[in-house]
Amino acid sequence: MKIKIELFGAARDFANDNILELKIENQTNIKGIRENLLQWLQKKHPNNSTYSNIVKNSAFCDENNEIVHDDYLVSKEQKLCIIPPIGGG
Amino acid sequence: MFHCDVVDVTKNKITLEKAQAFIESHKCGASLFFIGTVRDNNNDKTVTGITYDSHDGMVKKSFEEIFDEANKTLQLQHPVAFVEHAKGYVPLGGISVVIAVACKHRAQVYEFSRYIIEEIKKRTPIWKKEHYINEETSWLDGKKIEAK
Repeated sequence: MKIKIELFGAARDFANDNILELKIENQTNIKGIRENLLQWLQKKHPNNSTYSNIVKNSAFCDENNEIVHDDYLVSKEQKLCIIPPIGGG
Repeated sequence: MFHCDVVDVTKNKITLEKAQAFIESHKCGASLFFIGTVRDNNNDKTVTGITYDSHDGMVKKSFEEIFDEANKTLQLQHPVAFVEHAKGYVPLGGISVVIAVACKHRAQVYEFSRYIIEEIKKRTPIWKKEHYINEETSWLDGKKIEAK
């Protein structure tokens, strides 16, 4: 199935669009989505450690604006947001 | 009473007049304004502006949680708060955030205002991209957010 990942902060530099589409297996958890995104980055921006570190240090939030745990299972086509380390104010 | 918003500064302005009008209350004897602005230097680089990015839904939720927590933790009397944060490009000297608070007595407004800005720094999903004099830009490092 396909899911969408909306990009924020430094992750916006991953692509021209602010939303990526990833193909994942049904019942993939956030840890798996992170791996999937790292593989996508390796194809799109080979060996870019800055980008891969952003993904490794990011959280993900669901459509209810809640940060989800690494074991959260994605079982339907939905949109997640990548939330890189924050620093506003 | 509480108002919060993320203001797209390409379309609207954050104004102190709006904040002042919101927090005015005859029940409060003290009010305080915190104004965050873009300064000209960071990490020995000359800064010309900052682009703020925001997850608006999470930001507003976070502001509301912070207000509720401050109210309970600090046991505020008649708390009123107005919080607006910029989204988009803010030039040098421009306003990034306004936190206007009012309470019954003066001691509480200092605690209240400080609580809000420190918690925003810790947990509100806002990101900064600095613009430098040589036209380079850089996303600033931040704090990793964890699930509750």
